[in-house]
Amino acid sequence: MQFRLVLLLSGVAIAAGGASPQKPIDFNRDIRPILSDTCFACHGPDEKHRMVGLRLDTKDGAFAERKGGPVIVPGDPAASRLYQRVSAEKKAMRMPPAGAGQDLTAAQIDLLRRWIAQGAKWETHWAYTTPVRPELPTVGEKGWPRNAIDNFVLARLEREGLEPSHEADKATLLRRVTLDLTGLPPTPAEVNAFVADKSSAAYEKVVDRLLASPRHAERMAMQWLDLARYADTHGYHIDSHRDMWPWRDWLIRAFARNMPYDEFTIEQLAGDLLPSPTRDQLIATGFNRNHMINFEGGAIPEEYHVEYVVDRVEATSNVWMGMTLGCARCHDHKYDPVSQKDFYRFFAFFNNVSDKGLDGRYGNAEPFLQLSTPEQKNRLDNLTWQIECKESDLDDEQLAPQIAEWEKQRRAAIAPDSPKDGLVGHWEFDGHLADTSGNYRHATVPRGEVTWAEGPVVRSAVFSGETHASLGGAADFNSGDAFSLALWIRRSGSNFTVLHKSDPGRDHRGFDISFDEFIPVPDLRRASHLSFRLIHKWPGSAIVVRTRERLIQGDWDHIVINYDGSGKAAGVKLFVNGKPYETDVLEDTLAGSFRTSAPLGIGDKHVARPYKGQIDDLRVYNRQLTVEEIDHLAIHYPIDTVLASAKRSKDQKSRVREYFLTYAAPENLRAEYRELNRLLKEKKELEKQIPSTMVMDEGEPRETFVLGRGDYRNRTEKVTADVPSALPPLPKDTPRNRLGLARWLIDPANPLTSRVAVNRYWQMYFGTGLVKTVEDFGSQGEPPSHPELLDWLATEFIRTGWDIRAMQRLIVTSATYRQSSKASPELVEKDPENRLLARMSRFRLPAETVRDNALAISGLLVEKTGGPSVYPYQPEGVWEAIAYGDVYSAQKYKQDHGEALYRRSMYTFWKRTAPPPALATFDAPDREKCTARRARTNTPLQALVLLNDPTFVESSRKLAEHMMADGGKDAQSRIRYGWKLATARNPESREVRPLKALFEQEYANYRNDRDSALKLTGVGESEASAKFDAAELAAWTTVASVILNLDETITKE
Amino acid sequence: MSIDNEIRLSMTRRHFFSRTATGIGTVALASLLNPKLFAKPGGLPDLPHFTPKAKSIIFLHQSGAPSQMELFDHKPLLQKLHGTELPDSIRRGQRITGMTSGQDSFPVAAPVYRFEQYGQAGAWVSELMPHTAKIVDDISIIKTVNTDAINHDPAITFIQTGSQQPGRPSLGSWVSYGLGSENEELPAFVVFVSQTSGLNIDQPLFSRLWSSGFLPSSHQGVNFRSAGDPVLYLSDPPGMRRETRRRMLDALEKLNQIRSAEYGDPEIQTRIGQYEMAFRMQTSVPDLMDLSNEPESTFEMYGPESRKPGSYAQHCLLARRLVERGVRFVQLYKRGWDQHNDLPRDIALQSKAVDQPSAALVRDLKQRGLLDQTLVIWGGEFGRTVYCQGKLTTTNYGRDHHPRCFAMWMAGGGIKAGVSLGETDDYCYNVVEDPVHVHDIQATVLHCLGIDHKRLTYKFQGRHFRLTDVHGELIKKILA
Repeated sequence: MQFRLVLLLSGVAIAAGGASPQKPIDFNRDIRPILSDTCFACHGPDEKHRMVGLRLDTKDGAFAERKGGPVIVPGDPAASRLYQRVSAEKKAMRMPPAGAGQDLTAAQIDLLRRWIAQGAKWETHWAYTTPVRPELPTVGEKGWPRNAIDNFVLARLEREGLEPSHEADKATLLRRVTLDLTGLPPTPAEVNAFVADKSSAAYEKVVDRLLASPRHAERMAMQWLDLARYADTHGYHIDSHRDMWPWRDWLIRAFARNMPYDEFTIEQLAGDLLPSPTRDQLIATGFNRNHMINFEGGAIPEEYHVEYVVDRVEATSNVWMGMTLGCARCHDHKYDPVSQKDFYRFFAFFNNVSDKGLDGRYGNAEPFLQLSTPEQKNRLDNLTWQIECKESDLDDEQLAPQIAEWEKQRRAAIAPDSPKDGLVGHWEFDGHLADTSGNYRHATVPRGEVTWAEGPVVRSAVFSGETHASLGGAADFNSGDAFSLALWIRRSGSNFTVLHKSDPGRDHRGFDISFDEFIPVPDLRRASHLSFRLIHKWPGSAIVVRTRERLIQGDWDHIVINYDGSGKAAGVKLFVNGKPYETDVLEDTLAGSFRTSAPLGIGDKHVARPYKGQIDDLRVYNRQLTVEEIDHLAIHYPIDTVLASAKRSKDQKSRVREYFLTYAAPENLRAEYRELNRLLKEKKELEKQIPSTMVMDEGEPRETFVLGRGDYRNRTEKVTADVPSALPPLPKDTPRNRLGLARWLIDPANPLTSRVAVNRYWQMYFGTGLVKTVEDFGSQGEPPSHPELLDWLATEFIRTGWDIRAMQRLIVTSATYRQSSKASPELVEKDPENRLLARMSRFRLPAETVRDNALAISGLLVEKTGGPSVYPYQPEGVWEAIAYGDVYSAQKYKQDHGEALYRRSMYTFWKRTAPPPALATFDAPDREKCTARRARTNTPLQALVLLNDPTFVESSRKLAEHMMADGGKDAQSRIRYGWKLATARNPESREVRPLKALFEQEYANYRNDRDSALKLTGVGESEASAKFDAAELAAWTTVASVILNLDETITKE
Repeated sequence: MSIDNEIRLSMTRRHFFSRTATGIGTVALASLLNPKLFAKPGGLPDLPHFTPKAKSIIFLHQSGAPSQMELFDHKPLLQKLHGTELPDSIRRGQRITGMTSGQDSFPVAAPVYRFEQYGQAGAWVSELMPHTAKIVDDISIIKTVNTDAINHDPAITFIQTGSQQPGRPSLGSWVSYGLGSENEELPAFVVFVSQTSGLNIDQPLFSRLWSSGFLPSSHQGVNFRSAGDPVLYLSDPPGMRRETRRRMLDALEKLNQIRSAEYGDPEIQTRIGQYEMAFRMQTSVPDLMDLSNEPESTFEMYGPESRKPGSYAQHCLLARRLVERGVRFVQLYKRGWDQHNDLPRDIALQSKAVDQPSAALVRDLKQRGLLDQTLVIWGGEFGRTVYCQGKLTTTNYGRDHHPRCFAMWMAGGGIKAGVSLGETDDYCYNVVEDPVHVHDIQATVLHCLGIDHKRLTYKFQGRHFRLTDVHGELIKKILA
């Protein structure tokens, strides 16, 4: 165990720059991290939890005169209380206290001793002072540096007694820089051209070509998508879809035109606050709408509104400031000078968006921007204007006197009346179960209960799904009898029997009306078919007719079934809401009577399916109703019953109004009303065609309070927008809004913004940032391995006008970047993480690139930029296993076909609660929160993806086809061809041999097993070329799969 | 611990699932290390903190939140109070969800199911749980669990990760990270999802519930599926025989070895090992899922549903097979308990599907001598309200979410048998005695595994995070 600690320390020493006994201690590098990690939690910025009034995060605190002696006496460890306590023999005296989980090691205690002995020089935290451009250090090996980066790296290596590695060979270098700058591998032609180009600027030419490629913009966007927590779903609970791809496409455009980082910052944080913002500037603000959004039933809006704002604070501070402001949500920051009040001041910048706490059910949540074409926009404006005009023509104030007058006349002229002729059963369900037809077949309720609610004709009966109502011997008809059934229904489910007269003991003889399973329809509604059956024997002897269109669940519908007694399906007519409805005949085999003594009923589970919903004004006639009568029952009679009563519900009032405007008003008004409805419909249709994207805006200013323990219910002190007090203040004339904040961030005096940005670029190329904790530049973060280099790059970034592309060029043209990644065992031992940069880092490609690389090598990749996200292959059931029903979007995975299968992985639809599984296996994040640093794991599940995921099997087969078509005739040259496509280099013969042996063996096997050959080469939706023998193609597929699985293929060397 | 320290740790373990690749590999530095440290198959070197009682966890999560009043918390007075208004003195202005906050009235709904006393301790159990009733002397029922969240997403995220908001590692990931696995051919953390047995629509689940959060992604739960490949991408493609696969991997290894010799990157050796592990998993996982060697008596014990792939009953049986093989954490989710309406009907359907297999799992572990080293946890994310949601009738009612008290049970390694802990008030609305917070459950679970919940931490964004945040007390009254 002791041994492990020593090793652990040596690792830290390398990363941080080394504090060997001979060298002076550097406070920021060597001491602050110890104090921060082990002392600040109790003796730091958090005032509420500070113990014994001692603070060690400020100079004043650390050198304070205290009872029992000064905390630190420069030059005299023994007299310093700090040292006395950390080195105390007695457990009770020792700091940090046992059980705090932060014990100091002997080496750390010794560091503290030496620091005090050397004079205890105190420095402010490095990240909070504006970077000053350092002088280039002089180096011994003057010929090595290619640009300033190399002077800093080499100076450090020389201090450590190390030498840089030689330059990587040209093929490796080209593959590296192509993968780094575009996320795709070079083609063999590009490799050959580069190898052949002996000019001194050959490499720089390649870099410029790559930087100008649209693929480079995509690659830069890839990193930003993690930071922006970009996804295609809302994330919370039901996790249905949203459309933020227009923002993603803006991002790619911004990189494509090399938008400077300052502009890039302003547009994303505050594009909407710029004077007359362009559409692109508005879209850009979607950065801070990419957070998760909730609409869980029962959730409390204010709770989630707070979460959204907190997320904006966390993402913004992480991305631009490398600060973990989120730690100060519940209490003062434990380590960094950020008070809880600072947090809520920052919160106030993002608190005025006009969003709702709960939203997103139908896609994008407000506020969002419709991205119409100019024509669409014109039409939409025009429609909106016309609708407003019509609505004002038809407004209630104008209409009220006319309606009143019409009502008066109508009431005087007409009493509610309905067809009585042939009425043999009539249940009004007006709060009672009586049959008012004169036959007295009052309904009984053998099971459950009937309750009452307003209906189209006065009141209606509510069935719970457990309710069974029996209507006795009503509707006792024979096959030769004409009859008619009429009723109002409003169902709250599907797969129901509405009405049944059926004898299960006699082959279900009788008849019934039912609805089948629903399908989801737009606006989160459900629709199902209505069926009517007349049964002599089921199955085999029956008439079944079904509506061609589905009826929407949840609406009131008036249903009439007319039967002419012919015994034929043609004799059944269905009417919905007064209109004849087209039907499909599903069965027309009735060969006998459907007469039964079984009672007419609703919801008897022994006989049929249950019914849940409302029923009103159920009528049975022993004749067919005429079209006029049906129209009257569905349209006019219900209104007359409403008019008969002076007391109206809101719903009834609006029904009267609608009736008046549709049927009773003067023709000019009716025409206007028809036109209004047509316009509304057209507007709705048009809006559906126009994509939208969520944006920021400044709505009604909201008050911001410090929230006790971070809880939305505990409002305490009121605060206004401001930046953390430990950082440079907002200039006086700067507005206290997001635009002011963005301008403050890109002020050259801001100590963080440029350092944090260049450090992330560094991480992209070298695998680790100069500050390893790219998301935390605070006292708990790791100090930079090359502080002067970091500051030089930060000032250079600003000096070049925040030129993002120039910064990438600078890094990849350095000698440091161009080194070989081969490492001797000694070097691996001395610097396992390659923090000293005596070689180039070698690491596995990011998840997206692993897949894109295979698609590109095999020639399947479709290089198309932007657009809605796509649905490539995904194992069945990944979404469905956790989904919420099937009405909401993004619950069932519907795989695409054709070119959408082969787009770059950054376009794959990203569902937060079930992220794309193959990408997630390679450490792609779920995008619930801002991610600045991905883990890089090496697991057996990754092997399974590369070996078995159809994408990779299909890529292997396609690569095999290329090897066969373009790789020459003999096996060795084909292997060489495929190998070079994957790795950009020619294989050695010892590398060719195992693959040749594999091919020969498998070719023999597949020749004897053509079925298997066809199966293997049939994986994937791209066609297997008919040119090739299936057995041979299968054998080459196994070889190609090995090539795609090479460690080298998925690694940047 | 932190990502930065991962590298140091990775030197001390060779566990294939938890090996991360932040830089150095096992081989290069192997010689520097105490060889004894290699004996540990994954996990942190300083864990367990003390002698563990349990080696494995099976968490039977009842998603949607079962009603405590119908199952384990017997409240006889409710029969008299049925239909009366919930008094303000009981509700005390505590928040309720947006689904019932608009109700004019909050009438008490008495459960329609009967309770009886069982076992030596006379624990009250409802007629819906006849099999569980028979094992009450082996389990501890906690009737006073309470949580901070009031809706599903935050509540289930809270009980699984210790935080209502996303981003933290799940309980299983913490355990995988801390202790590793006893079986290198299976993941340390396995997840099963079974669908509802009721008629109401299920609450959704989220992969974040078994996510590793900020821990290395190799600690995330592996979802064992009932249709298609049990583990995603496990099967070789169609038309590929095992011998072919073997020969491909042999060729691949040869080529990777050449590269390894040339580049000296320890990651290559790790990758070679991972391909071998993947190959072995292609056998070990199907072996695990293959129940053909289970005797008839097993299926009788777990009930007829246990023959049905994807059923909760079969998942319980598979959970036993996993802990037999040394898998550290098995997380089951049974969907379908969110009974806002038609509760009497749906809770009966759910209970029927859940009762027998849950009890069978405890009995089965016990008869195999595994119960002592396996901790079984049963419960939802919150409880349900005593007042009716929607229309109250004599036979039908619904219940809304209730965070202030609900019932869970625990059994096995480290837990006393036969305890009924805690008292709620007559309305089953507030805790009267022995409150147990969700963080207390989490602290206790870790304790049974020999982990001090205050000392299992991970440094992320500068903070030393832990599962229980800054809370969590051991539930001493149920600790053996």
